[in-house]
Amino acid sequence: MSPGDQTMTWTQKPAGGEVIVRAIDIRKSFGANEVIRGISLEVREREVVCIVGPSGSGKTTLLRCINHLERPDSGSVWLKDERIGYRRDRSGTYRPLPERYVCRQRRQVGFVFQQFNLFPHRTALENVIESPVRVLGVAREQAIREARELLARVGLAAKEGAYPGRLSGGQQQRVAIARALAMRPLLMLFDEPTSALDPEMIGEVVSVMEELAHRMTMIVVTHEMGFARRAADRVVMIDEGKVIEEAAPEAFFTAPREQRTQDFLSKMFH
Amino acid sequence: MQVLAVSFDWNLFFDRIFHPDGVFLRALALTVEIAVVAQILGVLIGLLTALARLSRIWPLRAIAIGYAMVIRGTPVLVQVFFLYYGANLFLGVDLFPKSLDLVLFPVSGAVIAGITALAINEGAYMSEIIRSGIQSLPAGQIEASKSLGMSPALTMRRVVLPQAARVIVPPLGNQFNGMLKTTSLLFFIGVYEMFADAQVHYATTFKAAEYFGAVAVWYLLLTGVWSVIQYAIERRLGVSLRAPAGRLTRRRPLALSGLFSQRHSR
Repeated sequence: MSPGDQTMTWTQKPAGGEVIVRAIDIRKSFGANEVIRGISLEVREREVVCIVGPSGSGKTTLLRCINHLERPDSGSVWLKDERIGYRRDRSGTYRPLPERYVCRQRRQVGFVFQQFNLFPHRTALENVIESPVRVLGVAREQAIREARELLARVGLAAKEGAYPGRLSGGQQQRVAIARALAMRPLLMLFDEPTSALDPEMIGEVVSVMEELAHRMTMIVVTHEMGFARRAADRVVMIDEGKVIEEAAPEAFFTAPREQRTQDFLSKMFH
Repeated sequence: MQVLAVSFDWNLFFDRIFHPDGVFLRALALTVEIAVVAQILGVLIGLLTALARLSRIWPLRAIAIGYAMVIRGTPVLVQVFFLYYGANLFLGVDLFPKSLDLVLFPVSGAVIAGITALAINEGAYMSEIIRSGIQSLPAGQIEASKSLGMSPALTMRRVVLPQAARVIVPPLGNQFNGMLKTTSLLFFIGVYEMFADAQVHYATTFKAAEYFGAVAVWYLLLTGVWSVIQYAIERRLGVSLRAPAGRLTRRRPLALSGLFSQRHSR
């Protein structure tokens, strides 16, 4: 499947089918501090999984381990049948890949950062076409066409010539989402995409994400319980580097089984 | 007791400024040529050294650190002499012969040696400037590039260096200003640049104040023209340099104007 022959309009379908990403027993320490203590997670096509939990619980690290921005100490991450960060040699053992090969695998995983991280020296449009043109080798004209379509979808058609410094936080984050989608990823990871936004801008970003839900496979680390409730197929509660509870949003918010989930939710809703 | 009459020949002084002779103009051109070529080479050496310094391969790092330490720790004039006179002794061949016939124009070996020495010297300073420019970039820029599948080389070329350039250009301008003046040291290895011209006239007339004063004005003129160019370059680079608007990344480039005129952020 080449980037060109897929249409830009995804259809919203119920989640299910093929497993897109599978994380198996991930562990990660920073020095003596074990942040992730054996987490496994499986996400199917067009499924939306929200990861919630107190700060410092390891949510962000887990997300960064999935696309190997952090290399897990142990465990494995599989994107369909490809193991991220490793290559299988002739004898069948998996060997770590150098960074310049890992970045090829990352093409298939979009990542949206809390701090947006747009390229400040490029306009909104240039931010979106940069990687399709330079990494995937899409023709510039085609990349621009698709980028305009994506910017329109996130409601920023009029801002294509603006530099990030001239955009509000909410607008920057929507450009960042368009930029990640332009790579036609198999999977989108969102790392607290609304946490750095002024309150009045959260809505515009959340509605773009809701629009995307069930058209794209998504893992979302978030404190936006409203989004989790409306859009998620599954909510995963993480604390102290472990999965505490995993449930459909309805059950998760109305009848949490675990004490720690109950405590967390009562704090979130005061 | 005889009173020394201090006389300043104003006519000669202004004549040297307003009616430069052909010999002087060639010396002026050579000064600019040497400064430009040495600066360009210096930036290239500095870039390579900065990349070596940031490399994961430790011998590269060690070479880069050692080079910067030795060059920044010794006088330029010593380096110029060492290269011009010392290189020949070390290598046993005439690395910088008296004159070289490059295809387009003849250049003296001293000029080549001088440019080389200045470039090597400049590279050490530029490497520090470029390295700090690269490291001034927020880590999020690299992570964004990684997550978009960009290779380390592509990230360096398309994301890191263009942004680092803005941090690098102002000190780079200052370095070139210094370079224009440092070329005068090449007089000591027999390069006929502006200072050498003044020196030769002084030696025959003993009119030090007039000749050195006039050449000082010429240096001032060169650096003045350069500061105008530098200002224009910085303005152009600054076009898209506006603080990102995110809550945590709301940083404005510190400008003096901001201290006096109150501008309200959104």
